[in-house]
Amino acid sequence: MLKVWETIGRFYENGIFIYGTILLTSYALLAICSIIAVRNYAKKDTFHQENILLSSPLAPGITVLAPAFNEGLTIIFNVRSLLTLNYPKYEIIIVNDGSTDNSLEQMIKEFELTKVDFAYNIKIRTKPVRNIYKSTNPAYAKLMVIDKVNGKSKADAVNAGINAASYNYFLCTDVDCILDKNTLLELIKPVMQERKKRVIATGATLRIANSCEFDQGVMTRMRPPKELLPRFQEVEYIRAFVLGKMGWSLLNCVPNVSGGLGLFDKEIAIRSGGYDHSSFGEDMELMTRMCRYAYDNKIDYAIRYIPKTLCWTEAPVTVRIFNRQRTRWARGLAQLMYAHFNMFLNPRYGRMGMIIFPYNFFFELLAPIIEITGVIYYIMMSVFGLINWPTALLLLLFVYTYSVMITTIAILWDQLTFRYYKTWREVAYLCMTPFMEFFLYHPMIVFFALRGYFNFLTGRKSSWGNMQRRGFRSAQPGATAAAK
Amino acid sequence: MEYSLYDFRDASLNIQIAIVFIVVAVTCTIIAYLSILTGRYKAYRREKKLARLHPVIDELLMEHILLNDELTSDIPADQVQLPIEVFQQPVFGKKWARQALINRLIHYRNNVRGSMGEQLRNLYIQLELDKDSLKKMKSRKWDLKVQALAELTSMNMSIADVTILPLTNSRNRELRAAARHAYIKLSKNEPFKFFDVVTEPLLMWDQVELFRIISTTEHIAIPNFAQWITYSTNKSIVSFCLKLVVHYNQISAVPAVIKLLDTKDHYLRADAINCLGKMKIEEVEEKLIHIFNSQPQNCRVEILKALGRINSGKYVDFLRQEFLHSTDFEIRKHAAKSLIRNQWAAKGMIDELIETATAENKLILKHSMNPLIKF
Repeated sequence: MLKVWETIGRFYENGIFIYGTILLTSYALLAICSIIAVRNYAKKDTFHQENILLSSPLAPGITVLAPAFNEGLTIIFNVRSLLTLNYPKYEIIIVNDGSTDNSLEQMIKEFELTKVDFAYNIKIRTKPVRNIYKSTNPAYAKLMVIDKVNGKSKADAVNAGINAASYNYFLCTDVDCILDKNTLLELIKPVMQERKKRVIATGATLRIANSCEFDQGVMTRMRPPKELLPRFQEVEYIRAFVLGKMGWSLLNCVPNVSGGLGLFDKEIAIRSGGYDHSSFGEDMELMTRMCRYAYDNKIDYAIRYIPKTLCWTEAPVTVRIFNRQRTRWARGLAQLMYAHFNMFLNPRYGRMGMIIFPYNFFFELLAPIIEITGVIYYIMMSVFGLINWPTALLLLLFVYTYSVMITTIAILWDQLTFRYYKTWREVAYLCMTPFMEFFLYHPMIVFFALRGYFNFLTGRKSSWGNMQRRGFRSAQPGATAAAK
Repeated sequence: MEYSLYDFRDASLNIQIAIVFIVVAVTCTIIAYLSILTGRYKAYRREKKLARLHPVIDELLMEHILLNDELTSDIPADQVQLPIEVFQQPVFGKKWARQALINRLIHYRNNVRGSMGEQLRNLYIQLELDKDSLKKMKSRKWDLKVQALAELTSMNMSIADVTILPLTNSRNRELRAAARHAYIKLSKNEPFKFFDVVTEPLLMWDQVELFRIISTTEHIAIPNFAQWITYSTNKSIVSFCLKLVVHYNQISAVPAVIKLLDTKDHYLRADAINCLGKMKIEEVEEKLIHIFNSQPQNCRVEILKALGRINSGKYVDFLRQEFLHSTDFEIRKHAAKSLIRNQWAAKGMIDELIETATAENKLILKHSMNPLIKF
């Protein structure tokens, strides 16, 4: 009997070791791919002049979609920020998703809105639209506000915006995100510069806004967050966007375009059925469906990412809100895998089926489960006194040093290309974070992911929750951007 | 050391791999930190050096070129002997400083006109900075080639067709764009000759860049774009020429555009209809109505838009019919919009439609009539 357990134990140990080694090797490969992609981008970017597009009558039109639910504290500040975007041909659609605060009233007053008879064509089914507003002030001619019945999801609100969008491309963002003024110019470039493929989506790097300074909705000074939890998220975002997504972008295997900032091909998005309002990871779900549609209809598509930071979002600062966010994301991933499992290792779906899906399944979905079984195994072995401590500590050191290396490389790639932080101290501050991440941040992520899977398996009801906004730091002393 | 190596050899494969990974990870992490440190330091030094040099260059240029009264004589700019000895300072023997000087000259040349601009060009030649640019032109690195092309174009230095033309078809997008830019700006004879040799499709971005170069370059001979609309086998060239025809309101190209209505490519056909509508070619309306029913949706929408733009008032009944009977929402919307644009000829009809139309059609009409709604 003991021998059987010993064999199982050895098999498990070796299996986990192989799994870990493959995962870490894939990170190394991603790091190589990402530096190629990031350097290529940076080299080419020095020769591009955005102002060419700015004055061109040939610029493709873009609709900016921003759903808002009870964002009364910051809504005016955020809409003003969107109105400062540099682009010759764009419209802004704010979807008031049945807010119970005075968001709509504030917008009506501030932007001189009036109800219009808008021929709203339902291409994607959503909760009913109550009214559509346009501004009587020509200065806000780009702005349109849709007031609809609450659909209990961001997806439903964005779908209503897609139905009303006039242009062939739409940019989806959250109303609380602060965008770089050149966001549209930057995101449309990969679409316009693609040689043969149809670019169905483009994304860019997101960062944490918590300690940055803003003036009238424009980011004026970038800083790593002072608080530890948002700083961990900043490091995680750099790793995910600069290293992960840029690496995938080189291979045309981008698994997801973030819900906070993404430019999409409207036709493909509509034909794919728009955002799924029942999904907890609606951004990744839409991306998967768009890719699926492209494969089914033999469209040679591409999804592109750019390493520039174009969007700043407020990160959760309390564990309670962070837990809610990550549990939801994990549930969304589980939902997605379940709903599209027939794409898994299906050659019909090309890279999506053979690379992205298996990677997400083994290294995103299964990773927290494998980690927790590893922890339980370690505990059991140590309780029974079967553990070889030097070996165990060596393996722990192996994972620890490797994870620090990967994150440091991501920071290096970011620093080599864009020197976002002004002082050495800020960079050093950021570089110290990966050393703590492994012990403080990572266990939380694993725990919340498992909670998300549990909620998915048990079908437990979980709400979208309301992110408690604290507002952004203003560059002008005494003029707080938003009340706390 | 010997002992630990012995231990390593005897360890299991897992442990050996783990040790190798640890060594690699620690080394890479240290290298990464050093790279961040040196990268930031180098950039800091570069910025500091340039911050010291730029005022020196600016002062020399201001004092000896831009504000030099002796240079504002009637002698042609290329015959004026400039005080180049003041620029022959040891710092300008360094490559980075010469590059900074070139960049500064280009910056000033882009911001001044007439003889001052010519004097800056003259200085660029007399200081033999053009040799630096030409050297870069011969480099195998595409980014240096692009830089050289940009410098030579800004300084209006001629480059042989045989050097540029092959680059206008380069696989590298940036190099291709820079070469086309240079060719249009510098070619004395046929600035659009590369339209004949382009084999790859013109990307949307290429079109934007070319459009700007063509529409902003002074003293450029605009050819009749009909030649490419008729004979080019490159669809993107034809599509781009249609946009140029609209921009220059080139009536002489209209017969070629009308011929394009028979093309099998419906994207190109839609572009042709769009072009004719924007140019308000009234004679083509009948043909557009005639072909309407056999067209795919994108061409139908363009036909309806064209009827609105031409605004002749002759086909309001057709627009009414499409508005009332089409099952496609977009078609109905565009028919309504064009009907409203033809309001002067359809006032009674619109009033009648508002009274008798279904709720949805009434909404479409009100949508089209509302000046706050653009699309």
